[in-house]
Amino acid sequence: MKITSILIANRGEIAVRINETAKKMGIKTYGIKTSKEPNALYLRLVDDVIDFSESAEEIPEFLDIERIIEAAKTFKIDSIHPGYGFLAENPYFARRCQEEKIIFIGPSDTAIYKMGNKTIAKQIAMRHNIPLLQGSQGNVRNEKEAADMAEKIGYPVILKAASGGGGRGMRIVENATQIEKMFKMATGEAEKAFNDPSVFLEKYVRNPRHIEFQIVGDQHGNCIHLGERECSIQRKHQKLIEESPSAALDEKLRAEMGDCAVRIAKAVDYYSAGTVEFLLDDDRNFFFMEMNTRIQVEHPVTEMVSGLDLIELQIRIAEGQKLPLAQEDVKLNGWAIECRINAEDVQAGFSPNLGIIEKISLPRGKNIRIDSGVSDYSVVTPYFDSMLAKLIIHAETREKAVAATIAALKKCMIKGIKTTIPFCLKVMNNTKFRKADFNTSFIEKELDTLFHQEPEDEMLAAYVAAFDFAADLETDRITIVDFERGKNISPWVLNKRLKSL
Amino acid sequence: MKLIPKKKKKETQYIAVSTHGKKYRIVNPFSEELKINGRKEEVKIFEDNDGFTYLEYKNKKYLAEITEKNQNKFTVLLNGVSYSFTIESPISYRRRKYLEKYKQVSKTETINAPMPGKIIEMLVDVNAIVKEGDAILILEAMKMQNEISTHVSGKVIKINVRPGDNVTKDQVMLEIER
Repeated sequence: MKITSILIANRGEIAVRINETAKKMGIKTYGIKTSKEPNALYLRLVDDVIDFSESAEEIPEFLDIERIIEAAKTFKIDSIHPGYGFLAENPYFARRCQEEKIIFIGPSDTAIYKMGNKTIAKQIAMRHNIPLLQGSQGNVRNEKEAADMAEKIGYPVILKAASGGGGRGMRIVENATQIEKMFKMATGEAEKAFNDPSVFLEKYVRNPRHIEFQIVGDQHGNCIHLGERECSIQRKHQKLIEESPSAALDEKLRAEMGDCAVRIAKAVDYYSAGTVEFLLDDDRNFFFMEMNTRIQVEHPVTEMVSGLDLIELQIRIAEGQKLPLAQEDVKLNGWAIECRINAEDVQAGFSPNLGIIEKISLPRGKNIRIDSGVSDYSVVTPYFDSMLAKLIIHAETREKAVAATIAALKKCMIKGIKTTIPFCLKVMNNTKFRKADFNTSFIEKELDTLFHQEPEDEMLAAYVAAFDFAADLETDRITIVDFERGKNISPWVLNKRLKSL
Repeated sequence: MKLIPKKKKKETQYIAVSTHGKKYRIVNPFSEELKINGRKEEVKIFEDNDGFTYLEYKNKKYLAEITEKNQNKFTVLLNGVSYSFTIESPISYRRRKYLEKYKQVSKTETINAPMPGKIIEMLVDVNAIVKEGDAILILEAMKMQNEISTHVSGKVIKINVRPGDNVTKDQVMLEIER
C-alpha cells in the first residue's frame, strides 16, 4: 500500500530528518505540538501540526500510545514514523498501529519484542551460532544469584537492564564487595527507566570497541547490511562521535560480522532498518550485544558512505516494496564522521545546559551535512534529551574527514548555551584518535581535559572580562561630564553605551 | 609666556584572577596601548551582523560571550569554553591579598548538586564520618542515576535534602565539617 501521509511521533532533529525525506517523496507530514516545546523547529517544517498542548495528560505526549493512534485516525493519516527513543521500540505500539490499520514505519511487533528483550535476543543469537559473551542465561533474580554467577564467570562483570538501552540501568562490577550495591542500583534504574526491574549479568570485556552493523530487510525475506559504524567514543555508554567505516575492520572481518548481523535479523524475520551491535576485543574477537530495532541517531554516517536514504528505505519497505538492491550492489565510499552537538556543559561533567539558544550558525558546504532540530531562539528544556544537532562530514579518507571535521566544528557558532563542540574538537585533535587507536575507554584514559583549548584562550577571556568591567566603570564616570568631554569618549565606551541604550 | 605642562595620560590597570588563581594584569583595555601581563597585545572586539561577538587576535577569530556578570565576577564563554574571573583594580587586589592572610579558614564545606535532578537515595546520615571520594547520595538526572561523592573528608553536620526531592544545580545538599 502506498503511503500518502506520515504522522511523525517524535521531535527534535529526527522529526526534521523524517519530514525532509517524506516531503521529497511527496508524502504529507504531520507533527505533534507539545506544551513543553510549542515553538520547536520541526513544527515549522511539517505540513500540518496536531496540537497536543491544550490538554495536559499524565503520560508524556510522545509516549501516549492511544492519543497518538487517535490522532492518526482523526486526521486519516496512513502511517506513523516513531523516530528513535519514545515509542520506537515498543512492540505494543507497533501492534496497536497494525490493529488500527495504520502502517508502522518500522519492524514487526514480534521482531521488536524478541530483540528488545535482551534475554530472548541472546537465546536467539545462541541458537544461530552468533558469538556471545559468557553470562546469565536469563535474568538475575537477586543479589545472591548475581554474586554466585559473577564468581563463576569471574570479575569484572556487567549488569544490564533486560529492557534497557542507551546506557541506562547498566553497571560494571569490579569485585565481590560491590555486587550487592550495584545490583540494587541497576534494578532501581531499570525499574525507573523501563518499568521493568529485570537485569542480566555478563562478563565485562575491558577496552572493547563498539562496532555496529546497519541492516535493512524487506517484507519478502531479503536482508542486507550496509557496513559498520564505529561508535567507541562514548561516555557512560552514551555515544558522542561515530564514524563509518571502522579502521579496526578489514574486508574479511566486515563480511564475517555483516553476515552474523544479517543472520540474526533473518532469525526474527526482520524488516525495516535495524542495527546489530557487537563488541570487538583487542584480538579481533567479536560478540553480539544487542539489536536496535529502529533508525539510529548515527544513521547519517552510513547514509554518507552508502549513498542511500535510510528513511526512504524504511518508508518503501513499510509500503511492502522489495529492497532496491542486493548485498553485492552495496558500494561503500569514503569516510564519514558524525559529531553530536549536545546542550551539555562539558566542564561540569556533561551536565545538561538548559536555556535559550540566542543564535546558532552552523557551517554549510560540500560534504558537510547538518541534521539539526533547533534554530535561533529555540529553548532547551529539561523534558527532552540534550541533543541539538549532528554535524556529519564525508571525505575520501579518514584523515581528510578528521581535518574537515575540525574545520567545520570551528565554524559552529552557538550563543546562549554551552555545547559539546569543545569536546568534539578535543577528540579530533587527539593523536591516538587520529591514528584510529582507541576503544570505549578512550574518554577516561586518553583525554587530560574534556575540552579543546588554545594556550591564549584564557588570556583572551580575561581581556574580555576586564574590558567589560572597565567599560562599565568608564560609562559611569563619563556620563557625568558628558557635555564638556563629549569628544573625548573612547569609541569602545561609546559602542558599549550605545548597546546599553 | 606661560609654559603649559603636558599632562601624562594615566594608565588604567585591572587585575583579572581566574578561578584557579592565574593572574592577568591588563593595562589600558580600551586603547592601542593595551598590555597584558606586561606584553603589548593587539586584540580587537567586534560584533557581526548576526549578533555574535568576536575577538580578533593574531589573525584568528574567537567567539566570545559574557555569560555571567555579578559585580566584579565575570564568566566568559570563549570558543565554547567557560572562564571565570574576578576583576579588580590593583589597589583592591593588594588590599584583598593582605586581608586574606588574616582570614579564617572556613571549617564547613558544602556538597552542591552538580546538576539539576532528583534525589533517589541518601547513602549517609547526619554525624556520619566520610572520606574524600565516598559516595554520599544518588542523584537522578536525565534518567541516569549518578553517584555523588564528597570532595572533602569530615563529619556530615547537616542534610538539606531527602529522597524524592528535586534539586537545582548548585543547590546545597549537605554540609560537611572538616
